This record gives sequence, C-alpha cells and structure tokens, in this order.
Amino acid sequence: MKKILAAENLSYSINEAKLFQGLSFELHEGNALHVLGSNGSGKTSLLRIISGLTKPTRGIIKKYNTKNICFVGHKNALKQYLTVEDNISLLEVDKHIDLNIFLEKLELNNLLDVMVANLSYGQQKKLALLRVFLNDSDLLVLDEPCVGLDKNSKNILCSFLRDQKEDKKALIFSSHLSLDIDSEFINLDKVTS
Amino acid sequence: MIKKFIHQFASPKTYLFQVDRAYSYIFYISLFIYLGSLFWGLFLTSEDFVQGNSYRIIYLHVPASFISQSLYLAMAFASAIFLIWKVKLSAYLVKSIAPIGAITTFIALISGSIWGIPTWGTWWAWDARIISTLILFIMYLGLISLHDSFTDYEKADKFLAILVIVGSVNIPIIKMSVEWWSTLHQTASITVTEKPAIDSSMLYPLFGSMIGFAGLVCCLVILSSKLQILTREKNKSWVKNYV
Amino acid sequence: MKLINFEFLKLRKKSRGWLGPILVFILIMTAFPLTVEILNSNLEQAFFSVLWIATLLVMMLATEDIFLEDYNDGTLEQTAIKYDSLALLVAIKIFVYWSLIGIPISLIGALYAFGITGSIESALQILPVLIITTYIFLNIFSFGNALSLTKGSILGTLITMPLVLPLLVVLGKVVIAINLGISFLGFLFLLLGILSIIILILPMVISFVIKAHLE
Repeated sequence: MKKILAAENLSYSINEAKLFQGLSFELHEGNALHVLGSNGSGKTSLLRIISGLTKPTRGIIKKYNTKNICFVGHKNALKQYLTVEDNISLLEVDKHIDLNIFLEKLELNNLLDVMVANLSYGQQKKLALLRVFLNDSDLLVLDEPCVGLDKNSKNILCSFLRDQKEDKKALIFSSHLSLDIDSEFINLDKVTS
Repeated sequence: MIKKFIHQFASPKTYLFQVDRAYSYIFYISLFIYLGSLFWGLFLTSEDFVQGNSYRIIYLHVPASFISQSLYLAMAFASAIFLIWKVKLSAYLVKSIAPIGAITTFIALISGSIWGIPTWGTWWAWDARIISTLILFIMYLGLISLHDSFTDYEKADKFLAILVIVGSVNIPIIKMSVEWWSTLHQTASITVTEKPAIDSSMLYPLFGSMIGFAGLVCCLVILSSKLQILTREKNKSWVKNYV
Repeated sequence: MKLINFEFLKLRKKSRGWLGPILVFILIMTAFPLTVEILNSNLEQAFFSVLWIATLLVMMLATEDIFLEDYNDGTLEQTAIKYDSLALLVAIKIFVYWSLIGIPISLIGALYAFGITGSIESALQILPVLIITTYIFLNIFSFGNALSLTKGSILGTLITMPLVLPLLVVLGKVVIAINLGISFLGFLFLLLGILSIIILILPMVISFVIKAHLE
C-alpha cells in the first residue's frame, strides 16, 4: 500500500499558546483518518497544515505520490454574486462526466441560474461539496463536511466517501458526527500535554 | 557555516547582556562628543558670510536627517537578514528602530523649517528634498501602525520586513533629489570624492556633532530594543530572572 | 489561459467592481469645471492636477477588495493549495483589473483632456502616460490591500500612500513638459522602466504576503 502522508512530531502554537505538540502519524492510500477533539483543540489548524496552507511551528509533513489535494474548509469558496452555473465553471469541473448525476442527486440541477447569494445555507454547502464529488485528487481533506446538510445529502456524501476509499484514495476529516466510515482516530485532546 | 556564525550572535539574550554592559560607555561618550562639538560650533566659530548666525542649526539638522536615512537603511538591512535567515533578533530590532527613526525625521523636518525662516523667508516649501523627507516620516508612521495592528506577532514581523524593503526605494530618491531636480535646498557640501565645500572650522564640529548624535540615537535604539526583547520573550525563564 | 478567463468572468459580472470606479472618475472630472469658473485661464493648469488626483483616488477605490473578497470567501485558499506560487494569479488579477478599469479611465481622462485644453495633441500625449500610471497605481494599491488583508483596506491604503507620492512628483514634471511643448519621451520611458520593475517584483512580494496571511 502506497504511503500518502507522513507527519513527524508536529506541533502548532499561536502566539506562544500551544494547541498540540508531538503529533506523529502516517496515512496510506485507501485509509481514512478521523480527527477528533473539543472546540479549539486545533482540528482545523491540523487540517490546514496537512493541506499546506499553514506551516507547523515544529515538525514536518511529508507527502508522497500526491499530485492534487482536495480541501474543503469552513469557507465555501463560492462567489456570491455569480450563478450556480458560473461557480461550477469556476470549479473547472463542468466537463466532468458525472456532473449531471451529482447535480441531480444533490437537487441542484433546477437551481443552475440562481445567484448563490439567494441559495439557502445547506444548498450552498452542497454546492461547495461538489468539488469533493468531482475531485481528481489522491488526498481528500475535509473540515466538518456534514454541517448544514440534510440527512439525505449526508448519506450521499458518506457513501461517496466510502467509494473513494475503495478507490484507493486517502481521506482525512474532522467531524463531530459519525460518518460511518472505517477510519483510524486522532484525538487532539489527548495529544496536548 | 554562515548560518552558524549568524545564529551565534543572534540570541536575544546575549545581545541584551552585551548591550547592557556597553550602554553607559556609549551614552556618556557620545553625550560628551555631541555637547563638545555643539559648544565648539556655537561659540568658537565665526559667522557664515551669507547666512549670519542662523546657519548654526546645521549642527542639529544635518545629523538628524543623515541619521534618519541611515536608520531606515539599517532597518532595511535587518529586514533582509530576518527574511533570509529568520533571525528573530533582527525583527525585534526593526520594530524598535521604527519609532526612533520617526522621531529623528521629525527633528530633521522641524529644524529644517526653522532654518528656512531666516534663509529662504518661508518655513515650508514644496521642494523635492523636503517632500521626500516628509514621505520618509509618513513611511515611519505607517510602519509603526502596521506592526501595531496585528495581534499575531510573527505575521506582523514578516509584513513589517517586507514593507521596509519595498519602501527603501524612497532613500535613493531623497539622496538624489537635490541633484535630479532643481530645488530650493542646497546641494551636498560634503561628498566622498571632492574637497568639501564647507570651511574646515565648521566641518570638524559638524563631524563631531554627527558622531555624537549618532551615539545618542544608538542609546535610544538600545533602550527601545531592550524593551522589545523583554516584551516579546517574556515567557522565557531568563527574562524572569533578569527583571 | 483558464485563469485569465476566470478572472475576467469574475470581474465582468461584478458590475459594482468595475463600473463603480469608472463612474466615480467621471463624477470627479465633471464636477471639477463646475466648482471653478469656466473660461478661467487657470482651468487648464489645475485640470491636470485634478486628473492625477482623480486617477489616484479611483485606483485606490478599485483595489479595495481585489484580494479581500477572495480571501473572505475562501477562493484564495483553494488557489493557494492548487498552485505553489500565487505570483501568476496575482499578476493576472491585476492585469484584469487594469484592463477593465484602468484602460477605460485612461481613455475617459484623455477625452476630458481634449475637452478642457482643446488640443488633440496633448490628449494623445497624456493617454500613454495615463495608461502606464494607472497600472503602476493598481500594483502599489494591490500591495497595500494584500498587506492589510485581515485588517480592512484603509490601513493598507494609508501605508502604501507614501510609495505613490514620488510618482506624483514625476507626473507633475510630465505635465510641465507637455505644457511647454518639450518632448516628454524621457519621462515616458522612466515610467515604463518603473512599471517593468514593479510588474516583475510586486506579484512575488504580494504572493509571499498572501501566503503569510493564510497561515
């Protein structure tokens, strides 16, 4: 099994306040990692370090065999003043073969010329998650992906993620709810000393 | 190897202790030099042919403006070191020099305008050198406000360093402004290549006052940097023992 | 390239982003003769100063959320993950803003120059100066916007204002040269030189600053 990610002795602190330290783990393809922790324990920071946005205070992250990373964070990365269709074209996935299938499943195909600002919170979240459904990356990093989704959409997302796991992709996510995915756990509350 | 050499001198703790020891010497020596040159320049030299006695403000104005530009160059140098080798002490120095530079530039502007009243008849003129020095003053204020507006100190250090380096384009403009544009301000009397255009009886007190002023400004920078180091490293044990 | 098309799409559809600054510019330039007595011979001399100040102000307005908006809605993060260096994106964004805001303003400014001075030569001479100057202003104010990404755009503008002032001095010299009829090609090349240095260096600097903000 190919190794996707290796973290050694990661520590992160903001202005001398330590969030976590001495964190080491490995991730192989086809595996999932569930990051747990109470509010403010550094889950989002850890995911941002993994995706390359933030640099850890100490320690290193090594990535192997990843050409792309798919990241979904707290912000939706949608342009509020553009329509759904325009946003999809900005995602660069409009030639994807499965686009219409997922648009139907997520009930977005009737909303193509609605401005994103006029969509509900859950609909915007579903649109933001479209980049997950149509990704071509080896590593998926998701920060609280199920917030705001209704039960149906949550099931669609979880079954899709299980399929991605079968497809030999690596998965890291943080979620307060259980996603029904076979994963190892990292508990940031236990790592902080 | 260079990295090791720099990191040896880059500990804020060593800097603080060494500077503590040297402070009294620097202060008293430069005070002596400055007051001595001032006395020489004010009382012992004769009047200028054209300007009368009012030229004597040169002993305040020239050191102040020279030092304010040199301080900016020092900040730019320290910023470059910080960005390339990530030496924290450099960032502390940049932050602590900024207010001192602002004060010196302010002194230069005020003393310049006081000088302008008897010689040019006006206390302000919109000519290139004065404008560029004013720009330098505003830049210093901008640098201070930039660093103060961030709560995350490490980010603030980086942005400060970048702004200092981008803004250092102003220094050549100041120095050359007297040559490039025809201005009210007189051209440089002292250059490296030619014989000075100023009489030697005025030249020596001028040099003396520049050295003395530089020393006094160094003392201010030392005080400011000590404050900065102690504030930023306040969680370290050596600070708790020191204070 | 795709990036250019995306940025054009984003700015084109956001009409308040490009139409606003252009309208403000027209407003200022139209208000100028109204506040001064028309047929005043000083109108011509004051006109150019008002032109530069209006250009400065409008460029400041235009870059108010050039990176701020993308930072706030998360688009900047996605691009930072995808590409190692944001320098290309920054350069493209500034170029798009310049083509949709800077060039129309230059044309309108030249038109007003023709209207006030009555000579088509001075209007044609001022046009390249305006085109280059708007690009330089845009670069510098984008740098300011990038520096103050988390603190609001006013701080950034105030901080980079001192960098713009020397440019205004040069512009003043250009106007004098035009008025006296001497060749101002030297100044034009000076401005071009400044622009080429800025275009090469500032996108990399801005990219570094944005990456530091995202951390």
